[in-house]
Amino acid sequence: MKRRRFLSSVGIILPAAMVSTEFFLSSCKADVKEEYFSDQNIKLLDEIGETIIPATSTSPGAKEARIGEFMKVYVTDCYPPEEQNIFWEGVNKIKKNSKSKYGNEFPKLALLQKQEILLSLKNESKIDSNTPQFYPMVKDLVVFGFFTSKPGATKALRYIQTPGYYKGDVPYKKGDKAWAT
Amino acid sequence: MGNIDSKGIKENTYDAIVIGSGISGGWAAKELCEHGIKTLVLERGRDVKHLIDYPTMAKDPWDFPHRNELTLKEKEDNPVVSKCYAFREDAMHFFVKDKEHPYIQEKPFDWIRGYQVGGKSLTWGRCTQRWSNFEFTGPQRFDFGWDWPIRYEDVAPWYSHVEKFIGICGSKDGLEAMPDGEFLPPFELNQVEQHLKDSLLKNYGDRYLVHARWAHLTQPNQIHLDQGRGKCNARNMCQRGCPFGGYFSSNSSTLPWAAKTGNLTIRPFSVVHSIIYDEQKQKATGVRVIDTNTKEATEFFAKVIFVNGSTLNSNLILLNSTSNRFPNGLGNDSGVLGKYICHHNYRGSLGGEIDGFNDTYYYGRNPTDAIIANYRNLHKKDADFIGGYTTYAGAHRDRNDGKTSPQQMGAEYKESMTEPGPWKVYSYVQGETIPKEKNHVRLSADKKDEWGIPQLITSVEYDDNDDKLLNDYFVQTEEMFSKAGVKNIHHSDSKQAPGLDIHEMGGCRMGTDPKTSMLDKRNAIHHCKNVFVTDGACMASTGNQSPSILYMTLTARACNYVVEEMKKGNFK
Repeated sequence: MKRRRFLSSVGIILPAAMVSTEFFLSSCKADVKEEYFSDQNIKLLDEIGETIIPATSTSPGAKEARIGEFMKVYVTDCYPPEEQNIFWEGVNKIKKNSKSKYGNEFPKLALLQKQEILLSLKNESKIDSNTPQFYPMVKDLVVFGFFTSKPGATKALRYIQTPGYYKGDVPYKKGDKAWAT
Repeated sequence: MGNIDSKGIKENTYDAIVIGSGISGGWAAKELCEHGIKTLVLERGRDVKHLIDYPTMAKDPWDFPHRNELTLKEKEDNPVVSKCYAFREDAMHFFVKDKEHPYIQEKPFDWIRGYQVGGKSLTWGRCTQRWSNFEFTGPQRFDFGWDWPIRYEDVAPWYSHVEKFIGICGSKDGLEAMPDGEFLPPFELNQVEQHLKDSLLKNYGDRYLVHARWAHLTQPNQIHLDQGRGKCNARNMCQRGCPFGGYFSSNSSTLPWAAKTGNLTIRPFSVVHSIIYDEQKQKATGVRVIDTNTKEATEFFAKVIFVNGSTLNSNLILLNSTSNRFPNGLGNDSGVLGKYICHHNYRGSLGGEIDGFNDTYYYGRNPTDAIIANYRNLHKKDADFIGGYTTYAGAHRDRNDGKTSPQQMGAEYKESMTEPGPWKVYSYVQGETIPKEKNHVRLSADKKDEWGIPQLITSVEYDDNDDKLLNDYFVQTEEMFSKAGVKNIHHSDSKQAPGLDIHEMGGCRMGTDPKTSMLDKRNAIHHCKNVFVTDGACMASTGNQSPSILYMTLTARACNYVVEEMKKGNFK
């Protein structure tokens, strides 16, 4: 557990950890309306998540990890208002671009079209910006949420709550999964 | 104080009172009760029963709504305790929230507290190296602070006594700077850690990376099974409380052991206001307690009193124990009470990556870190600062971060993250700080807490010596790691305030001279010989080793002195 002291001091990036303390202190209540996390939007978030972390032959994807529900809880409770706004601006852009580019809603697009929409947002991200950028934000959120979910931890990675013992040297061969924790 | 209920003097009388149920209070309870001494343990917080009150111990990562992170509100409500690495969704119920118990930071001090039966022993770091004589003699040899009244030889048998009971894993390394103890088998080093160890020996000859010495039962003995504890299952979720009793806490070990004797009474929700001094008898006769729920005041009486309220709270209680004889706090003729507060310098960390070792991994979660024993200012002063430092180090191999994946989305991106990435090497420092008079705590003259007890003012800060020590750790560790082939090395000074180390010490220090110290060589107050202070408050200097096991050791030693004296008819 002590290693956590190290991780926290060097700043391992968590989905909402890019913000300075001053940002928290200056924060006010986010203008988040209930309908933001409507069933429809949760489905949209599931689709965004699935595009980033898809089901593959070896393991399920973000949709099975209920990534939309996770984002609802995490964004609402852990994101400062400024970041919540960036999050929703990005999501609305996805909606808008889906319609304007492909004339359909994001969930109904073909896989390549979905990727195209997200890639264009990714390419818009400013790498050296001080303010959080939408694509890195949503990507980190999906990756964090997926690999800490039950399907992510137990099927895409390996997880054993109670290993029973520790062994410092076991053979590793390419293809073996990483430990989830 | 409101109305004091002293009617039931007889039923409120015990042989001994122990203030606090944490890592040292638990030991006082065990030692005294085992020897037939009727003991009352006072705990200001709620009860926490082993296993029963560990609500998160069997949870998986996905069982936590925020996957074990803090919400914005929790951070905003708790600017101090939320900085603590263990204050997370899984263990926050074992920490004091900022608003519950205010204190005054004259200078920034992150006071991390655990008000419950077991105190911070539930969530402690569990690292348990012995002090060496280099630390005990440091103040005298290098002329800082005041000399300790004891030496390694005085505590060595008591270290053994404690180690055998609580269970310490480690290997006997024969190091003068970190004496061997009674060890259970160590956690293995992984291949990269072994490589670091070999590289240090090859390149330096006198720098040693050794197995962790940590309070884990790697192979329980009968004495541990008798406590109802079992083998550590390498879960590394210790801060939640362990379903196996695999690491030591008061709750899993000393307190139930004491309770089995029939001599123990634990009273939760009992905050100690002050210690009662009887001017005629010239000794302490009891304590004033306030029920934290009803705010009712009660007095309890005993022949001896052990103060184990945690470093700063023990100082607070003594400062608040005023009488005609001791207007400045119990036993405080010297005026040093509350002064010379020190802590460990935990600001530095340094890490990097190492190539190779791709065909090796590990099984299970190692709850410990390897240790590079202190190599500074041992036989002679060999640095531009005073004191030494312990370097914790280790290597791990996490899930690949996927950063090299071109698209940052899709099947290839995902698959790249399911395999382990390169080995990473990490370290962090635990540095000695120098006791100084100006680093102190005192009572607020006007601000009181909910129970009418003055709030504590903290006035503690770093100095040049700490900066120099930190710089040396960065330079030396970078060099050691580089020589071992570690690359992309980055270091960080967290600049965290004192306190976040959770190794605050001193204020009621031991010493030979009553004019410059509070406690004698047995941890008794010089001027009030039936009161013993055996938690972190007693420390005359910080050393560079983890302090908790020394508190337990000094407690056991002091308790056994009391037992022997009682046999002779003393402490009536």
